[in-house]
Amino acid sequence: MMNRGILQALQKIYPADRLLTRDVELLPYESDALTAFNAKPGAVVLPVNEEEIIDTVRLCHQLALPFVARGSGTSLSGGSLPIPEGLTIGLNRLNRIKKIDPLQRIAVVEPGVINLHITEAAQPYGLYYAPDPSSQSICTIGGNIAFNSGGAHCLKYGMTSNHVLAMKVVLADGTVTRFGGESVDGVGIGPDLVGLFVGSEGLFGIALEITVRLMPQPELYQTVLAAYDDLGRAGDAVSMVVASGLLPGAMEIMDRLAIKAAEASVSAGYPDAEALLIVELEGEALQVEAEFEQLLGIIEKSSAIEVRVAQNEEERTRIWKGRKGAFSAVGRLSPDYIVQDGVVPRSRLGEALVEIGALKDKYQLDVANVFHAGDGNLHPLILYDGREAGALERAEALAGEILALCISLGGSITGEHGIGMEKRDYLPAMFSEEEIDIMEGLRRAIDPNEIANRGKMFPGGEAPALSQHGVHPLERAGLISRE
Amino acid sequence: MATAIEKCVHCGFCLAACPTYNLLGEEMDSPRGRIYLMKNVLEERLSADDAQPYIDRCLGCMACVPACPSGVEYGDLLVSYRALQEDQRRRPPLDALARKLVIETLPYPRRFRLAAQTGKLSKALTAALPDAFAAMLNLLPAKLPPALPIPPVMPAKGARRGKVALLPGCVQQVLAPEINYAAAQLLAANGVEVHNPPGAGCCGSILLHIGAERQARDIARRNFTQFPADVDAIITTAAGCGSGINDYELLFKSQPDAERATEFSQKVMDFSAYLAELGLRQPAGFEEERRVVYQDACHLLHAQSQHAEPRALLNQIPNLRLLEIADAGMCCGSAGAYNIDQPAIAAQLGQRKIESILAVQPDVIVSANIGCITQLRQQLDRLGNPLPVLHIAEILHQACAD
Amino acid sequence: MTMYAPRSVTELQALVLDSERIHVIGNGSKPALHCAVNGAAIVDLSGMSGIIEYQPAEYTATVRAGAPVRELSAALREKGQYLPFDPLLPEAATIGGTVASNLSGSRRFRYGGVRDFILGAQVVDGEGRAFGVGGKVVKNSAGFDLSKFLVGSMGKYAIMTELTFKVFPDVPRFRSLGFHYEELEEALSAIYFINQSAYELDALDLAPPSVHPINRGKKNGNWMLLARLAGFDDTLPRRVERFTAAMTRDTATIRVEELHDSAALWNPLADLTGEFLVKVVIPPKQLPAFDALIAHNRRRYSVGGNIAWAATDDIAQLDTALTSCGLTGLCLSGAVDSALIGVPIDNALAERVKQVLDPLGKLV
Repeated sequence: MMNRGILQALQKIYPADRLLTRDVELLPYESDALTAFNAKPGAVVLPVNEEEIIDTVRLCHQLALPFVARGSGTSLSGGSLPIPEGLTIGLNRLNRIKKIDPLQRIAVVEPGVINLHITEAAQPYGLYYAPDPSSQSICTIGGNIAFNSGGAHCLKYGMTSNHVLAMKVVLADGTVTRFGGESVDGVGIGPDLVGLFVGSEGLFGIALEITVRLMPQPELYQTVLAAYDDLGRAGDAVSMVVASGLLPGAMEIMDRLAIKAAEASVSAGYPDAEALLIVELEGEALQVEAEFEQLLGIIEKSSAIEVRVAQNEEERTRIWKGRKGAFSAVGRLSPDYIVQDGVVPRSRLGEALVEIGALKDKYQLDVANVFHAGDGNLHPLILYDGREAGALERAEALAGEILALCISLGGSITGEHGIGMEKRDYLPAMFSEEEIDIMEGLRRAIDPNEIANRGKMFPGGEAPALSQHGVHPLERAGLISRE
Repeated sequence: MATAIEKCVHCGFCLAACPTYNLLGEEMDSPRGRIYLMKNVLEERLSADDAQPYIDRCLGCMACVPACPSGVEYGDLLVSYRALQEDQRRRPPLDALARKLVIETLPYPRRFRLAAQTGKLSKALTAALPDAFAAMLNLLPAKLPPALPIPPVMPAKGARRGKVALLPGCVQQVLAPEINYAAAQLLAANGVEVHNPPGAGCCGSILLHIGAERQARDIARRNFTQFPADVDAIITTAAGCGSGINDYELLFKSQPDAERATEFSQKVMDFSAYLAELGLRQPAGFEEERRVVYQDACHLLHAQSQHAEPRALLNQIPNLRLLEIADAGMCCGSAGAYNIDQPAIAAQLGQRKIESILAVQPDVIVSANIGCITQLRQQLDRLGNPLPVLHIAEILHQACAD
Repeated sequence: MTMYAPRSVTELQALVLDSERIHVIGNGSKPALHCAVNGAAIVDLSGMSGIIEYQPAEYTATVRAGAPVRELSAALREKGQYLPFDPLLPEAATIGGTVASNLSGSRRFRYGGVRDFILGAQVVDGEGRAFGVGGKVVKNSAGFDLSKFLVGSMGKYAIMTELTFKVFPDVPRFRSLGFHYEELEEALSAIYFINQSAYELDALDLAPPSVHPINRGKKNGNWMLLARLAGFDDTLPRRVERFTAAMTRDTATIRVEELHDSAALWNPLADLTGEFLVKVVIPPKQLPAFDALIAHNRRRYSVGGNIAWAATDDIAQLDTALTSCGLTGLCLSGAVDSALIGVPIDNALAERVKQVLDPLGKLV
């Protein structure tokens, strides 16, 4: 229960129906899409305009009350996990698209706008918003900014950071500042503050208004689905495509287990194989047609056992639907799982996959692999059964080894999900003590009380305990059972 | 129930599809949030009474089910949870009486007709109905339309292409007898022999919805013996019946007649699905272009995955221009208790829906469920708009008339 | 003025620790950026040069900050790759200077600017600490992204010693077209048309009448929209044809000419003579208002009208024009008190970074 004085101060900003304090209202905000952690917030507020956000952040600064901003709660790294007894600021009602300017190819949006809604609004003008995280139908731009979200189509046009031109933000100490502009050169003159703010995982403050660039919808997509009887061969095919000088919009690989999950979920009609490679070319029709011929030649040489080409938009959508739902679809195969997000240099993908295969045997756990092969971004899904004693710990240990592997191969511990709650302890594996000191110093220079998303990104600090899924109470009582 | 709860990985993909989340923007009013609340109630971290308002606010539109990559059977979860809570729920005597009235009246067209005509029943009934029928009763016309009797067997016109039986349903045949009439006529005109067993009736879904499982099974059982064995399909014209019958497996789990129930449910097919597979016989079409919006009924679109079929049928009609609307998969708010329990939310959903429909300037609105039809009619009346709202069987029948 | 030329990071660190004020210079290709550094020790980074690692298969390259742009470009060209952000001064500038001043040429139009291709860096800050920011792989979201912050930071927060970039495969063939318009608004409409179309141009610049050599001596008073297409031998001719047809769809009277594709054509600074050379970041919609104020100046509107390059002998007048349009300019040449003119930048967030990386204010 939140301290009375704090509640009274919040009541001055929010009417009762937008200040949630009862258990029944708070429990559903306990976790985001990383359910390994949960923490009950002291209160949830639902602002409807930027003034309320600014007032709230200033109040938090004044009272040293920790807060976390939350969009749709789809973070896979626990980025929007509440701070125990802290304030959760739900931004999903700030969901107005303030402006679509097709002539300059920009959109100005509030932080709670859903990623896909920008594309939908831009569509009539032949434009779209390029970053496409798998959760794009629900994740918000504010969250995308906090975690510099990527997606399958980042190879050519980059991640969220590359598509934000300007922002108005409230820093954690209540300072309101703007940077960037409507020119495609963005900040253009002076240090790139947009680049610094995007990906700061909510530790710097809250974005109030965001200007993003829109892209013309490609005239033509060519989507090729190639099946392999060996995961390594699919990896080799990626290297061949890269070596050819082609620049596809996306290159994705799924292994057998991931295929099975996706198939169970959306019946994508995927071939039965050890690995699937999806390569998508996009752009001006004539150019894509020429590239497509070249691509088919490469795929033919890559010892694919089956090659399919999407013949129409419906087939293309089906291919992508399976891929995009693959994470959550693993819920069909296993009661619990951990999604990992590591990066290795593209040319060492094969090595990484062999090593993950060995680790999986060592820990006796199943791992489904789904990854953005084009940029070496691995998403191993570690399957475990929380009811089994020690399974979660083994899964965590395996996840840790995969991250260590990524670093030893010269990569990164996160490509697009961020450090959040989940990878705090691995930050020192990637950055020196001095580098972490400097980042923490920066954080304190902006947020002396360390109230903004406290407990995330940096190792140590207060943190909600790992929740044990274990045996369901009704199960224990013999009332129910799982298949 | 636990399986369904544990299957939820909290990814949030369902949020986008959920009408109440879209409207209210609160986690407790989302499928993910409701599942979490149910979990906490079952785990005794939360009282059922606290959770109830949020569970009650669920429309049961099932839009979250196809949106869920993990395959959470939200519908089963909701039905089981509601039934579990129903057992423990103590109702005020008036509610209990009304509930009894519903159970004793609604599934029986003759009783219902009689009761409705006296005009006194509707208010008592609506109080007890947390589902789509309540709204309909609330709108009971001052005068019921005359019954349109359909002969027990309607021979196929021309070469016979199929043989079906029509599931008459309950409330719809009293309130809108023209729907089944049009369906039977249309099927016959398209070479289908249509059987209308006099002893057939309510499928029991309505009782299942109010948590009266035992009575629902009793009603459902009466149908098992009424239909000829050699029909290609048993056709329903109400999306709600079709999706309810899909739940027979759950309803009859470990009960007598489980096998027959499954057998029966496998035979049942929605009117559009059957006819789309068969294809219309050279429909005459309309003289002048008719702009048509097809409003997806949640229980057809989400619960029975029927998206292409009704559209394919409408697209066969010459001079019929099918229009697509924004957020077509979003519930129109007819889902029942809504007009009574949650008037504000229901009205907002209805208003949003009618706005998206009117934005494309149709001449006719078509749906496949009487609940939706009623809700849209109500919205149009509010705007003083005389735009016709028809069941898909009706417009097809019009278009196929010689 | 004291000049130092450190050969290693350790030497640089020692220099920072021993100095009160430090100003970094690469090749000195943008002299205005080095005005107003009175009394500061000048650190010439051109001695810290060379490519450290280039992996064509990874699309990544790591170089020392003092390396000339042309050295890296040549290495990339050999493997059929390039820096898509298109360094503005490909012959004269160092890589470090290009990043510090955030200067891109016309080809920025296709894939993005410096910020979109920087992956990581090694730096020495005002406290003499040497450390890394960002990473070396094409995708990475661990920690705060200080590598992007370095872009445009003018050496005032930390001194870059090493930089890692994402690079792309280049295309073998180019064709350049010029479309003539009588009015700026017409040319702008053409840009807007392209913005909403699926034609993928390699570059798109706008040259005002009579000012640019391409325009000079031709039909007086025409704006010329310069469009460049890049691609393969077998498809480029047809793409050029389609694009031209689309651009002239309404008025067949629009004069189109094929231009000789050359580095000079696509150097937005070519012929921008004047004491002061200024970069202006401008939304295309503001071009008409801004152009009206500087119509007597040599200028070119690059990157689809999103970056203006202007040359002038009267910097005060340009400063006034920028201020009245709410724009900021960066002066690259000419003697100025401050390289920034026009509307000042809201620096609230940058100041926090300064407090951490250079609390004593050594780096100027």
